[in-house]
Amino acid sequence: MFDNYVLTDNSLENVKKDGEITGYKMRTRITYYRGIPLSMVHDIQVEVDGQEVPRESIRFSPDGEIYFTLEEMKTVTSYKWEYGQEGVVYVEQPGGLTPGEHKIKLTQVSRVAYIPVPFSGTQTKTLIVQ
Amino acid sequence: MSSIKRAVSLYSYQDEYVRGKLTLEGCLQELAEIGVEGVEVITDQMFHNTPETDDASIKAWKEMVNKTGIVPVCNDIFINTNLYHNRMLTKKENLDFLKKELVQAHKLGFPMVRLVSATPADIIEEALPLAEELNVIMALEVHAGMAFDNAMTKKFTDIMFKLNSPYLGLVVDTGIFCRRHPRVSTAFFLDQGLNPEIVKYIDDIFASGDDPLELSHNKLPEDLEKMVRSRIDREYILFAGGYENKDFSVLDPYMPYVKHFHGKFWEMTEEGTEYSIPYKELIDYLKEKGYEGYIASEYEGGRFALPGTEIDAVAQVRQQQDMLRSYI
Repeated sequence: MFDNYVLTDNSLENVKKDGEITGYKMRTRITYYRGIPLSMVHDIQVEVDGQEVPRESIRFSPDGEIYFTLEEMKTVTSYKWEYGQEGVVYVEQPGGLTPGEHKIKLTQVSRVAYIPVPFSGTQTKTLIVQ
Repeated sequence: MSSIKRAVSLYSYQDEYVRGKLTLEGCLQELAEIGVEGVEVITDQMFHNTPETDDASIKAWKEMVNKTGIVPVCNDIFINTNLYHNRMLTKKENLDFLKKELVQAHKLGFPMVRLVSATPADIIEEALPLAEELNVIMALEVHAGMAFDNAMTKKFTDIMFKLNSPYLGLVVDTGIFCRRHPRVSTAFFLDQGLNPEIVKYIDDIFASGDDPLELSHNKLPEDLEKMVRSRIDREYILFAGGYENKDFSVLDPYMPYVKHFHGKFWEMTEEGTEYSIPYKELIDYLKEKGYEGYIASEYEGGRFALPGTEIDAVAQVRQQQDMLRSYI
């Protein structure tokens, strides 16, 4: 029901560091109605053109500045993903994605205060890498 | 004209807020413009780094409140009991978080915190002295799907009756008074492939005067199970239990403890009424009981917006407020 927030339009781009493309990133809004500490972001899954991205390659940033691996996030309680703040999902992949269209499926799973099972949101979009 | 007062929960404007169409100050200005007295806020939604939001944010909030003249009525708080993936928080940890929330609510000028349904009841008695000192009421939300029949709600109400403190009470969500399943929800799930037979099954339960609460807690009856063809069908049935069809008299024993109401709504119709909840009768009941607190608009229809349609919570809240004003 919050699936429309999962994947921000026109947000897919390759990431360059020191002249080299190190991976790609996209932006996402929380599929909940309040901010939560990162330890409550239970999981993030990325699928590109039908291929699932290895969990170890995914980094998440609640603010576009500081990044954590999903393993690290399990214990991060001092940073929150605030409501109204777009988080960044970064995938480490030397060379990044080829320019042009890619079918991206992004899933985020959060633990919600009063629902016993984790709550997930998924959205699939065709986005363009310039 | 009765003494019931009107507020808006900024939960209503969550989509406008998350998409950057409305700021926190913009929300308060909207309330001032439409002549609403009070405001309810989910601090985790519109303040950063809660429950220890910084002094600058508190100062800015106080200035907005002073400028608009809107009265802070209720602060909706959550205890993140499942903060970690591998264990639940201990009683001490929960209590420490609750105390931080009480202090923050006090600093922001709220006279009441709304404890979300399923908040651990075992921390309430120990938090009470601080609540008294800060002059902040702790009120548990009674929400459809987790209302008076719920074991965790009952644990809280037992303590509430036992301690009988003016600082303990209830926030009642009017979603327990649904006479029909919201049709915006039905349209949303039909668009995703919901089996129409299930729609009729649920609608018939409401029409018979009952509600589908039991369906979301127990094994499905055989005839309904046979209709389930997809994950969407199962979700619709599960969520249907989140709309209860109770008589107003369910509140009778609790009215002295009811501190606040969430005026839940999903769809204001062209006739100026809510599709599911009979607000005229509800307000009449509250008048008869001499209720003098607030009823806060809580728009939740946004989550059923069909793909490609814009959510206009501002217009929906205005219509609901017009309706409430006319009944009060």
